[in-house]
Amino acid sequence: MRSPLDAPEGDWWSEEVNRRETIWLGITGGWAAVLFGWMAGWTQIGDQNPTGPTERISPERYQEKVTAYKEEAEDAEDGLIPPGEDVFIGAMRYNWDGLPAVLEAGKTYKFHIGSYDVQHGFSIRKGDTLSKQMSLQVLPEYEWVVEMEFDEPGTYHVVCNEFCGVGHRTMHGAFTVRE
Amino acid sequence: MLGLFDNDYDADGFRTCSVTGLNIHRSAENMVKLYGLTSVVALLVGGIFAFFVAMTRWEAIGLVSPNDFYKFTSIHAWNLLIFWMIFMEIAILYVGGPFVLGRKLALENVAKVAYGVMVAGALLVNYAIWTTEQPNQAPLLTSYVPLPSSADFYLGVVVFLVGALVAALPFLATIWKEKREKPDATLPLIAFGAFICSIVAAEAIVGGLITFVPTYFWRIGVIEHLDPAWYRQMYWIVGHGTQQINLLAMITVWYFMTHVVGGAVVASEKVSRTAFILYLFFINMGAAHHLMSDPGVSSAWRVWNTSYAAYGAVIASMIHAFAIPAGLEVGRRARNEGGGTFGWLWSAPWKDPGFSSTILSIIMFGFLGGITGVMMGQMQLNMTWHNTLATPGHFHATVVLGTTLAFMGLLYYVIRLLFGKDWVAKPLATIQPYLYGGAMGLVCLMMMYLGVLYGVPRRHPSVMDIPGTAFDFSAAKPLFAIFGVSAILAIVGGGLFLALALGALFLGDDYEGEAAPTGAGPIVAADGGGGTGETPAETDSAGDDAEAAETAEDDDDGGLAAHAFSMRGTFLLTLVFFVTFVVMYALNWYLLSQLWTIGG
Ligand code: HEM
Ligand SMILES: [Cu+2]
Ligand SMILES: [Cu+2]
Repeated sequence: MRSPLDAPEGDWWSEEVNRRETIWLGITGGWAAVLFGWMAGWTQIGDQNPTGPTERISPERYQEKVTAYKEEAEDAEDGLIPPGEDVFIGAMRYNWDGLPAVLEAGKTYKFHIGSYDVQHGFSIRKGDTLSKQMSLQVLPEYEWVVEMEFDEPGTYHVVCNEFCGVGHRTMHGAFTVRE
Repeated sequence: MLGLFDNDYDADGFRTCSVTGLNIHRSAENMVKLYGLTSVVALLVGGIFAFFVAMTRWEAIGLVSPNDFYKFTSIHAWNLLIFWMIFMEIAILYVGGPFVLGRKLALENVAKVAYGVMVAGALLVNYAIWTTEQPNQAPLLTSYVPLPSSADFYLGVVVFLVGALVAALPFLATIWKEKREKPDATLPLIAFGAFICSIVAAEAIVGGLITFVPTYFWRIGVIEHLDPAWYRQMYWIVGHGTQQINLLAMITVWYFMTHVVGGAVVASEKVSRTAFILYLFFINMGAAHHLMSDPGVSSAWRVWNTSYAAYGAVIASMIHAFAIPAGLEVGRRARNEGGGTFGWLWSAPWKDPGFSSTILSIIMFGFLGGITGVMMGQMQLNMTWHNTLATPGHFHATVVLGTTLAFMGLLYYVIRLLFGKDWVAKPLATIQPYLYGGAMGLVCLMMMYLGVLYGVPRRHPSVMDIPGTAFDFSAAKPLFAIFGVSAILAIVGGGLFLALALGALFLGDDYEGEAAPTGAGPIVAADGGGGTGETPAETDSAGDDAEAAETAEDDDDGGLAAHAFSMRGTFLLTLVFFVTFVVMYALNWYLLSQLWTIGG
């Protein structure tokens, strides 16, 4: 019986470990394997993964790309209708360039996200169900392409949730998903 | 200074603590007091700002303007997460080394210089944040490049980090001297924990310097460009690294306090030390979980690093989660402090704020902080937590419910045993940990719900009214009300701690230590005599621990084997924990699976 304040003497390494403590060690190890396995498995079989190709790009060049995309897109009343499967979004203080947009339900889009200035947070939620929400980090100098497909029509709101300056709280955008 | 530094020492500068039996040298004791008092000042400053921050987020009050909110939150974060914790942790190193080993503090003057440097850095950081002017922005905790903060801010951080690194040297030198004198002796568990803590701290601080020195040069124009992804990866070495210091210091304090106040023993040296070693190797990778929703790193990198951390650090934490209550259970059973499954718990000194703080810290850190940390650390789940209010919800559960509460518990005993003052207003002292812990627990839960279920962003002074759009988060108003009221109670609880601490220091009676201050009697279960080396039977069925103890003998001269005592109470508690863990895990994945399709 030892105090944690005393140096243990003798061969403490070989001392027996209580049976229940041993069982707990087993549970712990097994659980860690589950944590890893599930996460790794979800990248294969799951529908929600924060993954997609990333490219280095200068903020100026990215802004040009977004501008070119906007010119090509159709300007509908509720926002831009992307010409193809690509949707470009440029984060800038304190605005989402490329939003609002109008998307079709059930179609897979490639969201390109990048920033013209500082870091931002690309945070989407469904307007009438706030618990349906997710966030991705946006970095200047990086263009990240993440696929998304929306099944439920409605308005999706985008807020910035990375502090980007005093106007951070006003940085809002939206897109509509139609049948 | 006001009689705070005047204990009686023998000719060699030592005194024996009547409660812990530790041999304490003046050099170490004075530094522990100095660093400890300074940390309390930072707690006061940060706590005052907590009030403004929380009352702004509760928009029914809406206390400060958006501009000030970011500034106030930055001051809150730096004083609490960095200054309160790190000054305290240096004090803990000096307890874990010199106190536990019964030595002088080596290089005492270095400790003094380091103290001065740390204070200078902390003052500069506060000044720089307070005087932030356009185009500079408040740094918050992270000062993500390329958003500029004032150059003095980065400089202050560098100065502080250098001071903290130097402050670890006297501790390391003390350990080195001990090792040179007794090359074959094993360090006591507490000293070992402190040692691992210091190594992890050194890694974190060096990482911090590698981050903040170039960032300073970038800000003053010497370096033209910094890659924002590089900054994030480097920053989190210190940003998360300091959390690892907090974790290791907290766990060391848990072992210390359950022993001193509750009579805990070491359930298994091998298991507890292995868990500390696991931290040493694996916990750094925990920093990767800050980059789970980042474009700059590949998904293979992210999965590998979180799983690696899950294997190493999560296992280590779960081991301590068993080992510490088990040590308490065995220690109290051996002292005949309650039989049955939970008798050892019921009989514990729940009115003692040192004890209750420690136990609340263990429970709430595990259930609220630990579980949620693993959730957020799963690459996909991270998308639903990232940068929402749930993130501060998680880390307030770790650094407030866990570390701050544990440090408060320790400070109650620092007041008694080092300053020699007894607590004042004892009934208030008894309720303080419950008030603070309970209210803060609610604050954390509300922030988590607001974040995950309502997607309320962090670092926002107003979400009920977003200029330029009709969209807002007013559905979340009721939860914000609970959040706001609990925050007020928590701040009252924190203020009560400060009042009690200062009250004891300046108005308290002299504390006459008793060997067992709170009812943990001597180990009474008899030594069975000549060791036969047999394994004693488990004791559940008998249920009579005193009897069991008589047969529990060990080969070593300790006479009694800890492993032979029943740990069934602890086992049941950890099973409850495990089931909660699994349920939370399933719920979080369910919520994620309800989202639209993301990622290829
Ligand atoms: C009564 C106690 C406390 C209350 C009510 C409180 C409340 C809050 C709130 C409301 C925020 C802002 C969340 C946001 O909008 O993003 C915050 C931020 C923060 N708090 Fe606390 N807090 C308390 C104590 C502490 C303590 C003891 C620590 C550290 C040990 C701490 C560390 C932090 C940090 C690091 C941040 C994040 C700042 C950032 O986003 O960079 N807090 N706190
Ligand atoms: Cu932004
Ligand atoms: Cu922002």
